[in-house]
Amino acid sequence: MSFFRVMKAELVRSFIIMRRYWFRTITGMIIGYGMLMVLVAGFIYSRPGVENAMDRFKDNPMGATNFILGFMIGMFAFGVVGMFTQGLQSMATTGVLEQLCMSPHGLATNFMAQTMVGSVTSIISSGIMVYAVTWSVSRGGSGMLHWDTLPILILLILTFFNLVGFGFMVGGLVLVFKQVGQVAILVRMGLFALAVFAREEMMHQPFPIPYMLHMLPITDATIALKYVLIHNQMVSVGTTEAGEPIMQFSSVFFHSSFYWLLVSCIFWTFLGLFVFRFLEDYSRSKGTLGSY
Amino acid sequence: MTDNALVELRHIYKKFTTKHLFLIDEETRKRRFYKRKEVHAASDVHFSIERGEIFGLLGPNGAGKTTAVKMISGLVRPDKGAVYVDGLDVDKKRRQVLRRVGVVLEGTRTSLWPLTPLENLLYYGTLKDVPRSVLRQRAHDLLDFIGLKDKKNVQVRRLSRGQKQKLAICIALIADPQVLLLDEPTTGLDVQSARAIKDKVMEMTREQGRSVLVTTHDMHVAQELCDRIGIINHGELIACKPTEELLALFAEQIFVFKIDRPVNVETMAALPGVLKAEMEETGDGPALVMQVTPETELRSEVLYRIVDLLKEQQVLLHGLQQRQQNLESIFLKLTGDPHQ
Repeated sequence: MSFFRVMKAELVRSFIIMRRYWFRTITGMIIGYGMLMVLVAGFIYSRPGVENAMDRFKDNPMGATNFILGFMIGMFAFGVVGMFTQGLQSMATTGVLEQLCMSPHGLATNFMAQTMVGSVTSIISSGIMVYAVTWSVSRGGSGMLHWDTLPILILLILTFFNLVGFGFMVGGLVLVFKQVGQVAILVRMGLFALAVFAREEMMHQPFPIPYMLHMLPITDATIALKYVLIHNQMVSVGTTEAGEPIMQFSSVFFHSSFYWLLVSCIFWTFLGLFVFRFLEDYSRSKGTLGSY
Repeated sequence: MTDNALVELRHIYKKFTTKHLFLIDEETRKRRFYKRKEVHAASDVHFSIERGEIFGLLGPNGAGKTTAVKMISGLVRPDKGAVYVDGLDVDKKRRQVLRRVGVVLEGTRTSLWPLTPLENLLYYGTLKDVPRSVLRQRAHDLLDFIGLKDKKNVQVRRLSRGQKQKLAICIALIADPQVLLLDEPTTGLDVQSARAIKDKVMEMTREQGRSVLVTTHDMHVAQELCDRIGIINHGELIACKPTEELLALFAEQIFVFKIDRPVNVETMAALPGVLKAEMEETGDGPALVMQVTPETELRSEVLYRIVDLLKEQQVLLHGLQQRQQNLESIFLKLTGDPHQ
């Protein structure tokens, strides 16, 4: 119950800031769209070498979509983990973190609510950009994404908790060693790159690389999300007397990446929260909690 | 410690260790491969704050004042000893303690600058679990009390430093805490703002019955505001007494005779009951400064003798006054040489 109150307060705060700085919000989205378009255009139409290598993008708009989706998921991962690292660091510098540490709800609850609200805003703006870019690339024709709300929502929630768990772990380290924030930029960039290039073929590597890739927080989330948005197929369960399917749902629920995502989500959520609480406690002993 | 104590620090020890790699040693100015430095922020610190009392914690920079505040608010855990707020162990019942404590830490922004004071109070009130039914009214009342009513809808970034500090106090008070911890509340403020904050702290303690801990460098703030004062240096509490008692304890019998010309101080120093005699040059002319015995009868006798001697030497006496002790001189006396 208290979590939802905190979340509501965070939501109101973000909404006020978004409304008060509306120009920044809109220009941010336009710049994001422009950057993606330039990147995709450059990727597809630039130097002949790249053009040859990426020929499939020309013939298959889905190739570009795949790339854009990876880019957006990477941005999402970059943002979520960033809230725990650079976000935490900047709050420590301004003194707001000390106030959060002194909230009876606890730092983890406050942070979870803040990240959730930040992610919802990020998903909405990213969604708008993905649609705008894919529409522009495919010129409104083929190549549009399959929007299947239920599986996308489930996958986004799992991806979010996966990243939050990982973020809590890195955030805990930032509480104790504030300088880790700089190293965390590298980690975020690694996650971003992984999201851009993650595809099923990566899992055909020799042991133990596939297992290591599965346990990374973004690999299976990206594969599963791309699968739904690009190749989504419906699976029917049972048929009525008239031959109509009783139930239909997305084939992603039979995809191995979905199950790996579940496992990695549970793993990172528990590990992240445990490490965060442990390091929060440790930072109180070290005297670094809340201060920079 | 009494039963009325709301905050209690029991034999607290806290040591911070810093480690440096490839840094220039501040003392020798030579580059060191590795240096480990230990700072004692608290060594057997032991004091309590009564209900409705303003307790001042004085000390030079790095003495351990902020560490004490952070230990009471649960931001720092002591290595040894325990901190209690309203009978609750801060380490074991931290969340319950946080509902009873409001903190204004020094030099931090605390408030969210893109929001207005009212929005800040509503935001922090929710974070501090203030019931929805009272939150809005309390936010308005606090802004009214502190004098920010007409600024409630102005973004914090547009407020002056004094107004931001007032808002920080409101944020600390939004959950209606029994204990208010103010770390250097008047540092960097102009005279009017500092005065306003002092008045408000007095008001909320006397009228609302809160306990307040103030850490400060400003001796005037401490002397005017605090019922009791603790002086801390190098993590050690070297004095802890009611303000009046502390002033009386260190009171010295120093008398200043304003005269028209310098006199021979050796003759004066030889008088029985005189501890010290010296000439001082003031803006009004020379002054004979005599430190005499605290013993009442002998003091009276020696003062008469000094006046007689001055008369005999035909020295014109413009005036006579007793030099008052203030907290600043006591503070310097106590912290000047930490080993004394």
